[in-house]
Amino acid sequence: MAATKTRTSSFSRNLPAASSAQSPEIKCGPNGTFLVSSGIPDLDKTLGGGIPLGSLVMVMEDSEAPHHMLLLRNFMSQGLVHKQPLLYASPSKDPRGFLGTLPSPSSPKDDKSRSHDAEQEKGLRIAWQYKKYFGENQSNLDGQRGMILFRFIVLYNKQEFSNEFDLRRPLDRHFYTGQHVDCISTKDLPNIAALQERCTSFLSQFSRNDATVACTGRIAIQSLCAPQCESSNMEWEMLSFIRSLKSTVRSAIAVAIITFPSSLVSATFCKRWQHLADCLVSVKAIPDEDKELAKLLTGYQDIVGFLNIHRVPRINTQVPAVLEATTLSIKLQKRRYLVLECLNQAPVDGSSGSSYGTSGSCSGASSKSGSLDF
Amino acid sequence: MADSISRTIRDGALEGEHAPSLTIKDTTASPYGFDVFTHVLSQASSLILAGKSQSRGLVVVAYSRSPSFYLDFLKRSGVDVASSQKWIHILDCYTDPLGWKHQLADSGILPSNSSAGACLFQDVKDINKLQSLILELGSGLVGQGKVRFSVAIDSVTEMLRHVPLSKVAALISDLRSHDQISSIFWLLHSDIHDVRVTTSLEYLSAMVASVESLNQSSDGLSGDLGNLSLLEQNFRRGKFHVRFKRRNGRVRVMNEQFHMEESGIKFTSVTVEDGLVSQGLVPKVLFNLELSEKEKLERARVVLPFEHQGNGKHIQIYDGRRSLAPESMGEVSADTSQSNTEECSNGGGEIIYFRDSDDERPDSDEDPDDDLDI
Repeated sequence: MAATKTRTSSFSRNLPAASSAQSPEIKCGPNGTFLVSSGIPDLDKTLGGGIPLGSLVMVMEDSEAPHHMLLLRNFMSQGLVHKQPLLYASPSKDPRGFLGTLPSPSSPKDDKSRSHDAEQEKGLRIAWQYKKYFGENQSNLDGQRGMILFRFIVLYNKQEFSNEFDLRRPLDRHFYTGQHVDCISTKDLPNIAALQERCTSFLSQFSRNDATVACTGRIAIQSLCAPQCESSNMEWEMLSFIRSLKSTVRSAIAVAIITFPSSLVSATFCKRWQHLADCLVSVKAIPDEDKELAKLLTGYQDIVGFLNIHRVPRINTQVPAVLEATTLSIKLQKRRYLVLECLNQAPVDGSSGSSYGTSGSCSGASSKSGSLDF
Repeated sequence: MADSISRTIRDGALEGEHAPSLTIKDTTASPYGFDVFTHVLSQASSLILAGKSQSRGLVVVAYSRSPSFYLDFLKRSGVDVASSQKWIHILDCYTDPLGWKHQLADSGILPSNSSAGACLFQDVKDINKLQSLILELGSGLVGQGKVRFSVAIDSVTEMLRHVPLSKVAALISDLRSHDQISSIFWLLHSDIHDVRVTTSLEYLSAMVASVESLNQSSDGLSGDLGNLSLLEQNFRRGKFHVRFKRRNGRVRVMNEQFHMEESGIKFTSVTVEDGLVSQGLVPKVLFNLELSEKEKLERARVVLPFEHQGNGKHIQIYDGRRSLAPESMGEVSADTSQSNTEECSNGGGEIIYFRDSDDERPDSDEDPDDDLDI
């Protein structure tokens, strides 16, 4: 429950109308920002609760693996589930067809992963003077086997802020057949101006000065300079497109995510694009059946790739974010649920961020690597 | 492992997915890419004829060799070309790519000779026409409907002479997403092109096979004449390195060796693996609490400065004035100063032990109580 504390100073912020925290899809973040979910609860947690409104997320693709599609899918599904308008651009000829492959939120009975903790609590012996705190808040404990943590982690009581998505179940049609979903194919566009116009007109519905805005907009641009697009040669134009998109998004109640294959952009432009991002992540493929990696990492069999977080959005603040771990492993639990975890290596890198006993394969080994949590 | 390639091409595309695509690339140091291409071609053809593969027909877009060459080659490889009309079409972009001979024939300078059998294509700059012709020929072979065919592009390098990269990439991605294409493969001479071209084509391919030379020296002229025969022999051999992008997002890397013979190219497997790939992916950790085998052996060899060594020898009381291990190379300094920097270890571990009792001067005459001034 993120209740906004009313400030009694003379400075009053121009809060957007949707900020009354009535709607579950937006929650209040630090420094006066509002957060929306990226569709991946683990990623939200790492980014500090979610993606701030008005930020531009850029994902550097690995040309050998389609992991950026996992991120995009979850992002788009989350927006559609919350009935947020979506603009999707992709280099394929039929982007609308992709909407049929978006994942649907998993039903609660499938989602056993987070409830394991509750059963584990019963096995814990709790020191007597703390029992009174633990009485009715059993479900809020984060339990690691054999250890007692005296931290409360506020479970997302707003279950609806962020959903777990089941990648095997496609989204119901009624979510994406509607006026609020717009698709563009970037393949045959002669230059980037057409895309820029569409984005600007889409974002004009979400201007912050307008008091009647009811919801957040999401923009998802896939593979911005894919080689089959005509405009991929025009690097300066694309740079100015990204810059104008960033500034328009910043002054709108919207979030934009752009994925681009970093190996196909020249190095200098790649650096420039990276600097424009508010939130920069990159995905990486891992070799298959690699014995070295299997020795280094526990749970190697389930990992499909790595996610590196290069920059966390820091709007309205100068304080840098120091992450516990910048490399997360991408796992598909039961081939359905996307899970991001810190790497379990020997020795542990000081983070306690490994998922709360979710993945069975590394729970046995994590006791060996021994996280030192007191 | 060349078999894995054939198998992937044989299995073809799944519903709703892109068709698997293969890039074969070589360099002047080991220019056997075309032999690999023809090898894959003959394998694909025999699988098509035997009915074992998903595709029922093959369209070869021939830029660098004439159609008759291909028919002869297939005959030599034991593929039945008598019925070639039914399953293979060769698009002749070799004889008259830009239509010059046609123009000269029209103006009466050259006698016109009709090309036999294969379809002559005279307008290589028009990529749309090429694409529609490929699709037309293919569906001419397999009919309309669910049946698929494969496409082989002789040399994308030649194609890129006439058409810019974005159009070639658009052609390939269109073909990949077409319902009737089962698989597509092409040859590229990577050292002629910019890095950007190579990476773009690799981005579009599910398998990348590169032909590399055995000796790593990039300067082919550096070998001395005495070794000429060895050089020549090594030239006919090389490394065949393939990267497969698997569906789950992992990359399988395989290595083989090949050598050229009269009858064609032969592949042999190689057992040496290198484990250097994983080093760059996993973040560096602070400590290494694991010992390698070598380190364990060294540790076992270190003589510990206990007086009871536990190996049945007579107990030797250490009196601090002789060096502990008489065979050690360094000298223990006679004075009990703390510097032990003159010790040099001969590769093994060494423990320098100064007993605490060494610090006491033996039988000092001074009475420590004399300092008290009472």
